[in-house]
Formats: sequence, C-alpha cells, structure tokens
Amino acid sequence: MTLALPSRREEAWRWSDLSALPALAAARPARVARDVSGLRLGDGPFLVFVDGVFDATRSAPGPVALGPVDAASDHPLGRHAAGTGWTLALERDAAASGLVEIVHVGNGAANHLAGRIALGADAQASIVETFVGDGWSNRLTAITLAPSARLMRAVRIDQTSGFQSLRDEAMIAENASLVTSVLAAGGAGSRIDGALTLAGVAAFAEMGGALLSRGSQRHEAAVVVRHAAASGTSRQSWRAVADDTATASLAARVEVARGAQKTDGEQSLRGLLLKRAATVNLKPELEIFADDVKCAHGATVGELDARALFYLESRGVPPAEARALLTQAFVADVLERVGEEKVRDAFLAAAGAWLGGAA
Amino acid sequence: MNTGSHGQMLEITNLHATVDDKPILKGLTLSVGAGEVHAIMGPNGAGKSTLSYVLGGRPGYDVTGGTVAFNGQDLLEMEPHERAAAGLFLGFQYPVEIPGVSNVQFLRTALNAQRRARGEDELSAGDFLRLARAQADALGLDMEMLKRPVNVGFSGGEKKRNEMVQLGIIGPKLAILDETDSGLDIDALKAVGDGINRIMRAPDKAVLLITHYQRLLDYVRPDVVHVLAGGRIVRSGGAELAHELEREGYGAIAA
Repeated sequence: MTLALPSRREEAWRWSDLSALPALAAARPARVARDVSGLRLGDGPFLVFVDGVFDATRSAPGPVALGPVDAASDHPLGRHAAGTGWTLALERDAAASGLVEIVHVGNGAANHLAGRIALGADAQASIVETFVGDGWSNRLTAITLAPSARLMRAVRIDQTSGFQSLRDEAMIAENASLVTSVLAAGGAGSRIDGALTLAGVAAFAEMGGALLSRGSQRHEAAVVVRHAAASGTSRQSWRAVADDTATASLAARVEVARGAQKTDGEQSLRGLLLKRAATVNLKPELEIFADDVKCAHGATVGELDARALFYLESRGVPPAEARALLTQAFVADVLERVGEEKVRDAFLAAAGAWLGGAA
Repeated sequence: MNTGSHGQMLEITNLHATVDDKPILKGLTLSVGAGEVHAIMGPNGAGKSTLSYVLGGRPGYDVTGGTVAFNGQDLLEMEPHERAAAGLFLGFQYPVEIPGVSNVQFLRTALNAQRRARGEDELSAGDFLRLARAQADALGLDMEMLKRPVNVGFSGGEKKRNEMVQLGIIGPKLAILDETDSGLDIDALKAVGDGINRIMRAPDKAVLLITHYQRLLDYVRPDVVHVLAGGRIVRSGGAELAHELEREGYGAIAA
C-alpha cells in the first residue's frame, strides 16, 4: 500500500502531526502478549483485535460478525481502513444483548480496520471501544441508523505511544439518535474525525468528549454535523486539556441545509491550558442555509481559576491535588454524557487516573 | 491588652505587606491567646481583608517585613495547605463557586489531606458523611446542598452557612473569619454566630473575627476588640469598644 497522507497545508489538517505514520506503516509489529481482561466492563459481547486481527480465543463476539465490511470512504485516513473488520447489524426492534465491548491492541506497527454498525428501525445498541498498546491504529466506522434506532457509542483512546486515527461516518434517519462520547488520554497522538448526517426529520446527533494531552502529545477532533432534514437536534461538547507543551485541537462544524428548518444545533468547545507553553486550538464553524434555525456556539480557552485554587488550598488540599480536582471538574460534564453507567464510571476513573499522574 | 494566662496562639509582630507593590499593612502587631475571641474592626480600606489573606497565604499578598508565629511555628514559611493542616482556617468574605466539584468531594479531600499531613488516618466515606450531616444539620443547611457543586447557585446566606459547615467539619485551632457577617439576614446571622460559638468556643481554640459592623459581636462576644486603621492596630479594648465605634464612628477613634 502506498501511503498518501494529507498535508498540513490543507486547512482541515493544519493542526495535525502525521509525521510518525510513514515509519509506523513500514514497521513490523512486536509480539507482545498483553492481558486485556481487566479492561472488560460487563459480561456482554467482547471482541479483541490485536494489530487489527480478530483474536477469537479471547473474544465472545455475540451478534458481531467478522469479515469483509460494507464501508467505503474518501477520507484521507479512513479510506485506508476500508476492507475487513467487524459488523454489528440489528434487525428492526432488536437490541444488542448488553454492552458490546471492543478492545484494540496495537504492537508498534500500523493496523487498519473497518467497523460497521447498522441498526434497523427501533433497534438499540450500546458499544464501547478501547485502544491500548502502541503503533498506528487506523479505523473507519460506518454507521447507519434506521428510523427511531438508538446507538450509544463510547471510545476510549489510551495507547501508550504511536497514533490513533478514527473516522466515523454516520447517516441518521428520522427520529433516530446517535450519541458518541470520546475520552482521549494515554501517551499517543490522535485524530478523531466525524461526519454525521441527520438525514431524517427530527434526528438527534451528539458527538463530544474530552481530550487530555501532556508532554508533546497532540490530540485532535474534527467533526462535521450536517443537518439535511428538518427539526433535527445536534450537540457537540468538547473539552480540550493541554499540559506541558502539548496541543489539543477542536474543529467542530455545523452545516444546515436549505430545507432543514427548525434545526437546533449547539456547540460548546472549551480549552484548558495547564501550562503557559501548552496549546489549545478551537475552531467552531456554522454554515446555515435555512432561515428558521437555532444554532448556538461557544468557544473559550482559559487557565485554572486562581481563586478556586486558593480556596481549595486554604482548606488543606495540596496544590497538585487542587489542580487535578479542578481539571477533573472541567471535563466531568462531557464525560457524564456517557449513557452506560459502567462505561461512564470507567471513563471518569480513567480521566481521574490521568489527572493523578499530572502532578 | 488581655494576653490572658494561656499561651499565645497567634503572634503577629510588626507585619508589613503589599498588594501590587502598594503598602497596605504597615507595622501591624497583634497577639491572640488560646481560648480567646478577638475582633478586628475598621473602616473600609484599612487592610482588614489584606490581613486575612496574608495570614492565609494568598498569592499576590506579599509580606515585606515582620513575623507571624502560629503556635510557635513560622506561619509565613508555610504554603496555604500547610497552614490549614497546622490548624488555621480562613473564612472567606466571598466564598468561591467551583462548578463540577461537589461540597462533599471537596471537603472530604480537604479533611483527609489535612489528616494525612498530620499523620492521622483518613476518614472513610461513611464516617465523613456522618460528620458532614451533623454539621449541616447544626447550621440549618440541607444535606442535599452539600452534594451539589461548591457554592454554585447558593444565596449569600447559604454560602456563609456553608463556610461554617466547613469550619465544623474541619475543626481548626484558629479561625480567621473575614466579614462572615456581610450580606446576612438576621436568621442567618444568628445561625452563623451560634456556629462560631459552638465550634470555636474552647480553651484550645481561638477566633479572629474581621468585621466592619458590630452586629455579629452581639452573637459572638469578643474578649478583645482591635481597631485597624491605616495598616496598623490603632486601639484595643474590651467588648465595649465595639459599641463605642458603632456610636461614634471610626473617624473619631482611628484619628
């Protein structure tokens, strides 16, 4: 495979650093036996992929099918991932038996994998994916939701090194609902791309999360939500935390097509700089071609509140703990959007663990 | 001045401090003995809040001269959280709102950090909640409010009651209460006054009440009243001095 990567001269990639990818693409994976059983949160379907290859011995895929995936993309990274992977297809009125959990383990090289989630009318599923290990993990996830289907999706980006690139492409039909929550921590860089289309009347789309970066790490999310039909609701709430010389970037765009009257769109992008040499980039964008819409957006970057820090310290909380407590509070509201309780608790705990190491 | 038969808990000697390079405290000397309640009164701009922040160690309040000993230790050498662990409590005139952090989480973190610093065992979640509930009940603050984010959406009176709940949970040796009476209606004033008496009236504790008005002193009767003007203590006396100030104003006395 020839690896053609987007350039930073392109507007959509100006904050990205993909320079490590060619070497990772040429590398051979190390053979590391890694125990991932501790990552399992429930007792529903559980799938382990090692370097993009399904590990049947450690998996119980339940309704998830393995093999060629019906997904294609012209996204510059996502297109490399089209091919084989996993498919969760549910018939009308069906519900996945419990939380579907997927763990992706990387061993230092590059791996590409596609996923497809297709929910029939009124079907429901909840799925959580976790990335651990090293190397470049590249993913394409194609999502189609039939009328009144509901999908809760959570992604935890936690590799120690390397790079994680995710591309989500979703079509959401009438009254269907997609909620995606992301926690990016770990030690590796990331690029989270989303293209969500509210294709039916009164569809609901939410994508948001927390990016926690330190050292020279770069986390980035770039999401486009397109309201193609009337009366849709979309929410994009992201929190970007940057410590040391790290960079956390958010680009969130809402497009409202000509016929999409009564659209209700909201963007909340907030950045927190824990050191003066850190960087947060925020780019909220609205493109509206309908005249009866409500679109709110807010973008702010700041530091921890010095008055709150002193208040905590004056009650005996040591400075590092006070900073961690306030940083946790900064990201908590978006992580509390995770619908599945055990996933929410795991994400909040993971964010807390990251902050505990921030001192 | 009444130095009493107890040892001095707080000994401030010739304290000078600046804020933004502007001198505010200009040679303040004051001692507070264990078992005593002292009130510091004074006109606006006299340096009352600066004194409380300097004693609490707030960044931006720079000591340029003098010493402060707290139970024999050099207070000015300590970080704010170390001062708290040593037994100092600063009651804020404007308690800070902290969205996303519950009162319970905040206070349990604070109390257990203090206990660790003193080499004591941490309180379990259950023991902490029992302690918090008892203090909230005593101050007439709904326990549900303690589960909400720190001071967010609290009225002025609720914030001050919350300061007293914190005082009760933490149980310091010395409470420095900065304008705790400001913005309180009569019920809240009485509740706060009762709280101070209940929590802090003990032979091994002391209180420094910083206030502009005499009314809180009707509920918490001071052993000593000081007048702070122009960055130093210009006069000290018994409880009757507060009434004199109320009657005649600061102008005559501080002159």
